[in-house]
Amino acid sequence: MGLAQNVVFGLVTGSYIAIAAIGFTLIYGIVNMINFAYGEFITIGAFVGILASGTLSLPLPIAALVAMVGGGLVSLVLARGFFTPINHTGPVPLLLTSIGLGLALRNAVRLVAGRGARYFDTSATTYRFEGLPDLPVGSVDLLGNLFVTSLQLVVVGSAVAVFLLLYTLLTRTDVGIAMRALADDEDLARVRGIDTQRVRDSVWMLAGVLAGLAGVLIGIQTNVSAGIGFSFVLQILAAAILGGAGSPYGAIAGSYVIGLVLALSTAFLPSGMTGISSAIAFLVLVIVLLVKPSGIAGREVREA
Amino acid sequence: MSSDTSVLDVSHLDAGYGELQVLSDVDLRVDPGEYVAVVGPNGAGKSTAMKAVFGLADRLDGSITFEGTDITALPPEAVIREGMSYVPQSGNVFPSLTVAENLRLGAYILDDPPEERREAVFERFPVLAERLDESAGTLSGGQQQMLAMGCALVLDPELLLLDEPSAGLAPDLVDEMFDRIDAINEGGTAVLMVEQNAKEALRRCDRGYVLAQGENRYEGSGDDLLDDEEVRRQFLGG
Repeated sequence: MGLAQNVVFGLVTGSYIAIAAIGFTLIYGIVNMINFAYGEFITIGAFVGILASGTLSLPLPIAALVAMVGGGLVSLVLARGFFTPINHTGPVPLLLTSIGLGLALRNAVRLVAGRGARYFDTSATTYRFEGLPDLPVGSVDLLGNLFVTSLQLVVVGSAVAVFLLLYTLLTRTDVGIAMRALADDEDLARVRGIDTQRVRDSVWMLAGVLAGLAGVLIGIQTNVSAGIGFSFVLQILAAAILGGAGSPYGAIAGSYVIGLVLALSTAFLPSGMTGISSAIAFLVLVIVLLVKPSGIAGREVREA
Repeated sequence: MSSDTSVLDVSHLDAGYGELQVLSDVDLRVDPGEYVAVVGPNGAGKSTAMKAVFGLADRLDGSITFEGTDITALPPEAVIREGMSYVPQSGNVFPSLTVAENLRLGAYILDDPPEERREAVFERFPVLAERLDESAGTLSGGQQQMLAMGCALVLDPELLLLDEPSAGLAPDLVDEMFDRIDAINEGGTAVLMVEQNAKEALRRCDRGYVLAQGENRYEGSGDDLLDDEEVRRQFLGG
């Protein structure tokens, strides 16, 4: 397999990480907390999607919408129940609470849904590009034959749609501008008459909607199990920090860096070492932070 | 007492932040269209008084009445809906938002902000119209102050609270800023201003208060306070 094929894999992985990382980083920037339970939001969204498409036999796009609505509501209810009441206590209690909540949710899902993996009932068309030149450089083929599945296109297309809608929301709507205002200066937001709790609620909803979509997209690419969201949470965290914590556009860039590094290191590391591809992703994170502590797009972390 | 006719009536106000009490038994009054200055040394509690009126500091005791409505318990997001706008001393614009977005949030509480209000702000501060798409953080200090006032004036408030409007401005801009405030007041908006630059503030205002250590010390017309021997000696540097 050539480099081009692995770039395709990396873009797909980067796409669903990006959707999730946007939600994660909005919570970080606006609610001012690191939400370690975010992986479970993804898991719950994925299971809502499985229920909708499997048990209710809804078509996949509708099931994805149901998962997004479900993810948004679950996120809001959990935030109202566990995070909003202790919002004033600061980032560390919020972080610890989210770790505990994530653990509890993960095991609750395992209890209800069991340990097995579920699959979305999907049919994919595979587009093959044969007869492309290999363009070998050493042992690596730069191009070579490659394929793209319709599901991969759905994942990447969904991500692009999310980016455009997010940009529109954050720059064209009152609630989106209020979200950015809240990230800048909460007191001034209140002086402008903004109901900050309502804006935070909207952020939780939005983050949950994105988690639900990410859950379904991860599910159609791989499978759905109780640990699916948790297995991605460190990569999401890495992508968000890499991009500059709190910056949604930075998180998008960070996600594609992580996605590409994961895919390329899996493909080109010696066969015995493919297990360390996530470690490579974190190595990239460490190096970027050493060179530019504020991340790719970030404002100074110290100022935040 | 003139709570029937005054725009703002602060009576026996104790205020502070949590356990820390900064103001005790402070009285302030602003009549319709009046220009009132609050002066006093650093740490006198001037800014806290503004924050307490607007709901950003904790009101511990006493009462605040705005146009006959008791607003003592209202949070900032409710106070602004009563018809009062507040320009904080620092952090009075959202630096990562554009000028246009800042002005849009200035009118956030209006469902359908009238375009002529925005036009009136541009007439007053033409530089804002030229830099609509730039982020507020890139503006100079004076321009940020204009944007902050513009955001407050978009609502056409009955009362404008100004916290140290001359702070951080280059000396040649200070006079200009005070002229602008005069113009706003002459347009019919009542002004309650806290100022470090006591002499200039008292010269410009209709009436003034001298606050020290969180308490009322002197009250009177700006000219009377400027002429008062004790006020001059203690607070105006002779």
